[in-house]
Amino acid sequence: MSDQLKAFARPDGRWGLRNHVLILPLHSALSATARKIADASIGAVGVSHDWSGEVDGDFARITKTISGFAANPNNFATIFLTIGTPHELAIIEVAKKIGLARAEVLNVAEYGSMAKIADIGLAMANSLVKEANLQARVSAPWSAIILGQECGGSDALSGITANPALGVASDRLVELGAASVLGETTEILGAEHLLAARAITPEIGAQIIETVARYERSINYEGIDMRGAQPSRGNIEGGLTTLEEKSLGAAKKAGSAQFSGVLEYADQVPNSGLYFMDTPGHDTEQLTGFGAGGINIIVFTTGRGTPTGSAIVPTIKVATNSTMANAIPDLIDLNAGTIADGLKTLAQVGGELFDLILEVANGKTTKAEKGLHHEFSLSRMYNTVIR
Amino acid sequence: MLPILMRKVLILNENDNIAVCLVDLEIGEVIGQDGLNLTIQNRIPRGHKVATKNISKDDGIIKYGERMGHATSEIKIGEHVHTHNVLGDRLSTEQVK
Repeated sequence: MSDQLKAFARPDGRWGLRNHVLILPLHSALSATARKIADASIGAVGVSHDWSGEVDGDFARITKTISGFAANPNNFATIFLTIGTPHELAIIEVAKKIGLARAEVLNVAEYGSMAKIADIGLAMANSLVKEANLQARVSAPWSAIILGQECGGSDALSGITANPALGVASDRLVELGAASVLGETTEILGAEHLLAARAITPEIGAQIIETVARYERSINYEGIDMRGAQPSRGNIEGGLTTLEEKSLGAAKKAGSAQFSGVLEYADQVPNSGLYFMDTPGHDTEQLTGFGAGGINIIVFTTGRGTPTGSAIVPTIKVATNSTMANAIPDLIDLNAGTIADGLKTLAQVGGELFDLILEVANGKTTKAEKGLHHEFSLSRMYNTVIR
Repeated sequence: MLPILMRKVLILNENDNIAVCLVDLEIGEVIGQDGLNLTIQNRIPRGHKVATKNISKDDGIIKYGERMGHATSEIKIGEHVHTHNVLGDRLSTEQVK
């Protein structure tokens, strides 16, 4: 046990850094109701999405994402809104298997009225929030922290200030026994050889290389010219010239620890060590996949001030440059631009970020949480087919 | 080494052929720090790169000690290094064709 970390103990041994009551629609038709319940409640959170039960090439990916998100250890309880199809009910069972202790189900087919569902859902949400508020944090081990590393709106200082500062904090957490996850396959392309060299086994190194090669093949197959999108126009304005350059800077988020494994999108993250997860470069799809994998705290470095956050995973925003940090103070939790200003060293800012991660893990509210940045997005690989 | 606050550019690795500008640089400005002696040839915004060596067409652009792409034209010391004279080695239409 660490005497510095206090968290919410889950019955299956996992740890929550938050105690959310999540209202989760299992069909797009219930998305508005989920948001309505969450907004009217005394502190529940809700998300909406556009999956309507399509059983196509993305079925496994989507159901895995929704069940994993429902079962995130930061959730005290999840209220599922469902139209009652077997696929939807199966998602609830998977969430329970992952470890969701409190699953409440509101089936429209049973109640026959959206208004009734909204009323009952609100009463249920408020009652669960009251119950959640009674649960106390208790001393937790460092392995209770499952950190996700994200960068969005990168600029030329990302790889010099905020990303290496996150690397310092991540290395320290991994050494103490926490888990830390690098994602965004697009943004390690060009740096994968450096990461593979740090794998604990040659097999894991080969998996890192193959994950990027698989992505590269799919892009070349589609004949896409990545130069318009990666680096993005904003990245280019910020001084980043090539995707490889962006990747070399992005990879610095993962510090210098060894890689213990490679995870597919939304795979459950083991509770210690550094991992790579195959996620898209799209910020919200990536954050959602992290949440579905059980990641319970995220550090998001940004050069241009990306506001993206998660309904259930506290997201710490670290600025790469002081100009943006000063321009958008209600978005930025820590300014790593001080490194480029010559005011602080990398080690100092890395230490400050480590301390901030610990404070947020212990309950300090992030700017993204205050701003209610509750983005949620399902990641798709194929054409959507309705059957 | 000068303290970072007094530097106009940042050299990230001794093997690099570029440096990152920490301030907006104007034509004619002279950089004389960390063993560099070069005159800025174009207006270069903060965060962008300046060539610290003469770079031939097709030579690798080296940042953080790693190759980040190649020159599509000759780049002289002191010139702005960016999308007008550099391409990534991977995932560009050069290979797709």
